[in-house]
Amino acid sequence: MNPTEPNGRSKESAIRVRGLVKHYGKTQAVRGIDLDIGVGEIYGLIGPDGAGKTSVFQILGGVMPETSSVETAMLGKPPREARNYTGYLTQTFSLYQDLTVRENLRYMGDLRLLSKHDIEERGMHYLRLFDMDRFTERLAGRLSGGMKQKLALACALIAEPRILLLDEPTTGVDPVSRREFWDTLASLSSEGMTIVVATPYLDEAERCTHLSLMFNGTIIRTGTPKELKSSLGLKRLEVRASDLGRAESVLQDEPAIEDVQRFGDRLDVMVRDSENGTVAARNALGKQNIAIGQIRTGDPTLENTFVSLLRDLEGDHHSPPFPRSREFQERSADAVAIGAEGVSKYFGDFAAVKGIDLTIRYGEIYGLLGANGAGKTTTIKMLCGLLEPTDGLIELAGERGRARSQFVRQRLGYMSQKFSLYDDLTIEENLDFFAGVYGVPRTEREKKKKWVMEFSGLQGQEKMLTGELPGGWKQRVAFGSAILHEPSVLFLDEPTSGVDPLARRAFWRMINELADRGVAVLVTTHYLEEAEQCNRLGFMVAGEVVAEGTPTSVKAAQSGHLISIVTDRPQAASNFLKSVMDPWRVSIFGDRLHVVIEEDGVRGVDGLKKLLADNGIEVYGASEETRSLEDVFIAVVEQRRGPGDRLEE
Amino acid sequence: MFVELGRWLALFVKELRQIGRNRRLIVMLIIPPTVNLVLFGFALNPTVTNLRLGVVDNSSSAESRELVTAFTESLAFKVTGYYLSESEMSEDLSEGKLNAGIVIPSDYADKRTRGESANIQLLVDAVDSNTATIAAGYAGRIVASLNQTIVASTPRKSPQAAPGGSAQTPSVPPRASRASITPRVALLYNPALLNSWFIVTGLIGALLVLQGSIVAAASMVREKEVGTIEQLLMTPAEAGAIITAKIAPIFLLLTADIGLSLTVARIVFGVPVRGSLLLFVVSGSLCVLSGIGIGTMIATFVNSQQQAQLMSFFVNPPLILLSGAMTPIEAMPQWIQPLTLLNPVRHFGVISRGILLKGTGMDVLYPNFLALLGFCILLVSISAWRFRRQLR
Repeated sequence: MNPTEPNGRSKESAIRVRGLVKHYGKTQAVRGIDLDIGVGEIYGLIGPDGAGKTSVFQILGGVMPETSSVETAMLGKPPREARNYTGYLTQTFSLYQDLTVRENLRYMGDLRLLSKHDIEERGMHYLRLFDMDRFTERLAGRLSGGMKQKLALACALIAEPRILLLDEPTTGVDPVSRREFWDTLASLSSEGMTIVVATPYLDEAERCTHLSLMFNGTIIRTGTPKELKSSLGLKRLEVRASDLGRAESVLQDEPAIEDVQRFGDRLDVMVRDSENGTVAARNALGKQNIAIGQIRTGDPTLENTFVSLLRDLEGDHHSPPFPRSREFQERSADAVAIGAEGVSKYFGDFAAVKGIDLTIRYGEIYGLLGANGAGKTTTIKMLCGLLEPTDGLIELAGERGRARSQFVRQRLGYMSQKFSLYDDLTIEENLDFFAGVYGVPRTEREKKKKWVMEFSGLQGQEKMLTGELPGGWKQRVAFGSAILHEPSVLFLDEPTSGVDPLARRAFWRMINELADRGVAVLVTTHYLEEAEQCNRLGFMVAGEVVAEGTPTSVKAAQSGHLISIVTDRPQAASNFLKSVMDPWRVSIFGDRLHVVIEEDGVRGVDGLKKLLADNGIEVYGASEETRSLEDVFIAVVEQRRGPGDRLEE
Repeated sequence: MFVELGRWLALFVKELRQIGRNRRLIVMLIIPPTVNLVLFGFALNPTVTNLRLGVVDNSSSAESRELVTAFTESLAFKVTGYYLSESEMSEDLSEGKLNAGIVIPSDYADKRTRGESANIQLLVDAVDSNTATIAAGYAGRIVASLNQTIVASTPRKSPQAAPGGSAQTPSVPPRASRASITPRVALLYNPALLNSWFIVTGLIGALLVLQGSIVAAASMVREKEVGTIEQLLMTPAEAGAIITAKIAPIFLLLTADIGLSLTVARIVFGVPVRGSLLLFVVSGSLCVLSGIGIGTMIATFVNSQQQAQLMSFFVNPPLILLSGAMTPIEAMPQWIQPLTLLNPVRHFGVISRGILLKGTGMDVLYPNFLALLGFCILLVSISAWRFRRQLR
């Protein structure tokens, strides 16, 4: 382990970059960046889609030469020569699905000409570290998403690299697996591994020791997560009001308020000064007769920071108003849009969904959350009529039982995880197709197509083949084409997977607008910060809905307190605590340790401090923090299922 | 109704555009049929000339000489030796000096004049089994045409239509009911026993079904493979519209293959078009549709294009082998012959040869046409039904 300075920066340099430039033809992907990454750091690269992150990874990984640089040194060597010390994992890991875990490891080791003994020893070491040593004989194809990532990581580690480059390793991986994966990264870093990681999930970025925010080929901010958040100089007000939609537009016009971001049951309002801001907000809303609940003050989250910074840089995504052609015509807000009564689905003996009840009304945004394999996708497929339930009754858009009628489908919008568009058609041809097949009148087609192109930020790219679009942009077009025909019920299965935070906000603004107009929205996501935008949430575990309610009530219903601990040896503290309590209760966030305990705040903090001190770990500070939805989700999921369950997908 | 038409058009245009992007598919529709026709027409041409024939003529009569002349007339055989005994000839045959030999019995002429059935013996060197089969087939046909000559010249037999009639058993004279077309015609439609015509005309149907099934299976299974099928199913488009919109562009493209293969047959092999071109194109389209039906059916059993390919390897060869495209159905084992009636390719083969080579029309070909139509309707409806069912 390396000696660390109090600010968390290690002395020894692992990666040093000065004036790095990369051109593709006339396009400038990277415009002269500097990086200083110390040994043992977890260094996060964040930024919107197309900021140049992947180019940086490819250059550091030695798979692509830079156009020019003053200095690019990996452990003092040029990237190509340092490749033996570098493990580089791209978004799509190359595992052999029909080989077992052990065979995959052996194959990777053999490629690197390692001895049988080394392969076996190192392989088992990492499998143990990743809590995977029970599954050596399992086929890689039958592992859960998170397990696959960890196996891929183990395959990269078997060559004993000293630097790991991870380009969006957790896209499409559920929150539980993602947290496990990051626990793994934390333990590797404590062994002296240097890790550079890109991620679109800003809650993950909180777990980095250092961050750089990239935009348009340059680095615009660098620092610890804490430094970045305080660099804004803003305070965050959590405002709860009766009519969020109106409250949002009222507050946006208020001069004392810097930024308003809408979440499911609250607004995050950024202000320079919390006192003045609170008063300004109360006055503004009072004038419009909008009832306000309590206003809480807090520090901005990393997401608040990211959005505010980027809005300053590129202006907000001002998606044009959706060209509406029909007024909403559902009978009443009480009518059930999506309903399930005791719905079950069996595949052979395996119960994928076990008797769930759901009622989603028009104008409601309902978030269905769950780990991979919890039965979410099966549930959605049954709800929208793609799959016949084994048992129970489905109600959809006013029809009970048979949900496959043409009339119902005309009023549904559906966006599935990945395959919503035809890759071999151009963007415009895709839009033509969806407009035509849903019978959007010809007179409106041009307006609507134009809207989708603007919403996606792809004006002028109509003739581009959809298959050539990067993931985030494809999702935007897919979302646009799913709502072209103005559906009354909208199913969105992981709509924002791989989409950057700013675009994600544009998505949610549109979703909120639709819901305000009376559309019922069912959405799934692995990104729990965005799940806060839902009006109601359902947590699924092993085919059952185990918790349901508004984001606030779901969080309130969970017992337990989150204690944040600052210590000199977070990894040792984590290892120790995991040995005395359920492992899920402990996770490392950068230089801090998050521990979930059942005792109330004060007593719990003191108890923990004492427990750690008795075992030779010094605690610099400890305080209770509000639990994020993700903390709650993980607690619910982990309490509901025994260890190892998640593997049986 | 108007909305439904708009939906169908949207689906249709989408399929057209996807096919337009799929350059490999376009190539696949042009190159393989052309190459296969040319290749098979030349390579599989079983025409063998100048087979060495030995003769043991125990009859030594005008009738027996007539028989020998019939053999040599076709250029398929040339008599290389007359033998006094069968054993002498067998010796040469086993040494490979002869490819075939005939033994004409002493009572041959007598039986002929009495109008009785006379048997001749045909010996074939079976070392080269292919040549042997061909030689035997030739001999059969030569004898058959001779029969017909005889029957036609016998006034008590009333002519009766029976397409493609050719007796098999080398026995003289034939069963009365088979008597029909005059020998002139029998030899005229393929005077030099030009077998490339036989192969090419039969192969057209086989190619249409093969192409239809492969292209349809690939296209039908593709959405399942890449996962867009769910998005498609969530649209208000009915299953029927989805299927027909998928089939229509493939059908149009493959109909072009009918023209293509006919052109190749005409230019390369000089195959004539003696009958109705329209009838040929219509039955060709039915053949294409049967192929599409088979392909669609295959697509309902598999989940990827690769599996579809493998499965069509399993389905197509028997269809082609049992179609009579490359080997005469008459040369197949007895118990298999009825099975070929269940093969649309066989029926198209009969139609194709009828129209192109003989100039026959619907009046003669209607049984095969109806059979083809029946298979086409059956295959398309079964596959559409299975496809719809899996869409649920």
